[in-house]
Amino acid sequence: MKHATQQDLSSWLDGLARTATLHAPRDVEGIILYEPVSGSGDIVFDYSRPKMSAKDIILPATEALLTIERRADEIAFTEPQMEREQIVFGMRPCDAMGFAAFDAAFLQREPVDLGYARRREKTTLIGLACPQMWEECFCTSVGGAPDDPSHVDILLTALPDGGGYAVNGVTEKGQALLADLKTSEVEGEPPPPTLHTEGVPVLPQERWPALFDDDYWHTIAERCLSCRICAYVCPTCRCFDVRDELGERRAGYARFERLRCWDSCTGANYRVVAGGHNPRAIKMQRLRNRFFCRFNYFADAYGPTGCVGCGRCVEACPVNIDIVEMLHAVDGIAGEVQE
Amino acid sequence: MSEQQIQDQARGLLEEGQVDCVIGYEMGSRGQVRPAFIYTPQDVERLVWNDGCTHNLTVYLHDKKKPPKRGADPPTVSIVVKPCDSRALNVLLAEGQIARERLHIIGLACEGVVEGAGFGGSAQNGKLQDRCQRCSERTPIIYDVLIGEPPVVEITDDFGDVAALQAMTPGERMAFWLKHFDRCIRCYACRQACPGCYCKTCMFERDDSMWIGMANEVEEKQFFHLGRAYHLASRCIECNECERVCPMDIPISLLNRKLVQDVQELFGYRAGLDDQLGPLLTMFDEGEESLI
Repeated sequence: MKHATQQDLSSWLDGLARTATLHAPRDVEGIILYEPVSGSGDIVFDYSRPKMSAKDIILPATEALLTIERRADEIAFTEPQMEREQIVFGMRPCDAMGFAAFDAAFLQREPVDLGYARRREKTTLIGLACPQMWEECFCTSVGGAPDDPSHVDILLTALPDGGGYAVNGVTEKGQALLADLKTSEVEGEPPPPTLHTEGVPVLPQERWPALFDDDYWHTIAERCLSCRICAYVCPTCRCFDVRDELGERRAGYARFERLRCWDSCTGANYRVVAGGHNPRAIKMQRLRNRFFCRFNYFADAYGPTGCVGCGRCVEACPVNIDIVEMLHAVDGIAGEVQE
Repeated sequence: MSEQQIQDQARGLLEEGQVDCVIGYEMGSRGQVRPAFIYTPQDVERLVWNDGCTHNLTVYLHDKKKPPKRGADPPTVSIVVKPCDSRALNVLLAEGQIARERLHIIGLACEGVVEGAGFGGSAQNGKLQDRCQRCSERTPIIYDVLIGEPPVVEITDDFGDVAALQAMTPGERMAFWLKHFDRCIRCYACRQACPGCYCKTCMFERDDSMWIGMANEVEEKQFFHLGRAYHLASRCIECNECERVCPMDIPISLLNRKLVQDVQELFGYRAGLDDQLGPLLTMFDEGEESLI
């Protein structure tokens, strides 16, 4: 395997931060987040999973899609350009799988989402394999793995006892980036990650509709707060709202921004339509929608499953709405329905 | 002991048809406590009482205001409350949000709840939450049945946490808050967990962006958090759910407590101590200097 020392990796990252925007796990007031860093000194190398997924990097929580300027006798429209390359270091394989799910929805179907495409094209992913599955994780039950190289450009695996990193250039883009990293060829392979002994039963996509009217959704949703934590920490939740907001106005000039901001079906007013009707007025319908989107609608519309098993929603939900518990329950109910 | 008594109460109420639902606590999927909704006597054994019972369950009473079917009566509910939570009941009663005759209150004497409660795995460390360490109210203010022996505590809340913030210069304080607000993701969990936040359309979330834009920028977040704090002035009962549920660890309680302290000093008023006491901003004493 190719091997790099921590020191060589750090100086390589320092170099990358000079030529591109480097995002990496960073300690923000005790919370680990993928954030822009100025060099390796800002980076946390030993972490489980950042509290938020990396989706903000390719689908920002707030993005101007268009600037609209009005002057005396003309209206001008400007689309933002993205000049700088961006690199994500320390990407967990599940988060990269989330990017693949976004690609299926935003790139691989017409119409292509131009704002997303711009960012995605300029983004390179350096994965860091998880040494283990963390407490709430179930990536191996939804087609992923703690050391899955499928969706990153480079996969690094930390070797035990500070022994540096195993380096795997997965894509051409990744290999090109690796040209500047000092590596040596050493014997052996990186140790495999520790996996959970039991998997989570994930009901096949086509069997979900039969459960739509089951009472279970009422039971699990009763304690739901209808907040948006689960959706916002989720690597595959991708819903947004678009509005034109006034940026500046003075005599003879006005500037509006067409903003795209994260939104979520778990919020009460998400589904309100013109005239004020809300087709998902009760929280059971909203929570059920989020789960069906993960395991039925997304796969139906785009192919891949809409859940990467990162476990973030399980960890962050303040009232213990546990997607793993839900999957076990649904598996049981589906068994009964079949009988 | 208390747990058994809660279960017995719940069983009796449900068997006799006095209530349709008992809202209490049960064990969750990963060793944490979570809210429970009990409808049948067979299910009362799920109910627990321990130092992980942190949630303020009164927030769920807003879901019980409507009848289950058109033409039917709204459900009658029994609810398990800690002393802090019981004050929220008084706030909601005074504001006309809940009907006393459709509410049965199981009050619990409280020894305090631990940090990390409500979250699974290693989150709980056995240490009492800060708010419990400074709490002198160990018996619910309002209840139909009281369970447990209130511990004797000699504590006065000196608002030391607020004083530390007040000792900063305005510039430092602004920097402190902007640093924290900047982490906000506008998930609105603080608002959703708050029994006092029950507006049908929150002013911070109007589709017309009338008061606040939808961008996830620090200006918007600052406006949201300060605005929400003001809306809770004289109404916040310091259950701290907003801070507990915050995925970004924003110290929201400091804002609320500053206002609690001000309201107490200026008006001698504390939210939820009396079910007859109207909301502070609707009260006007004769002889009070007119502002009109």
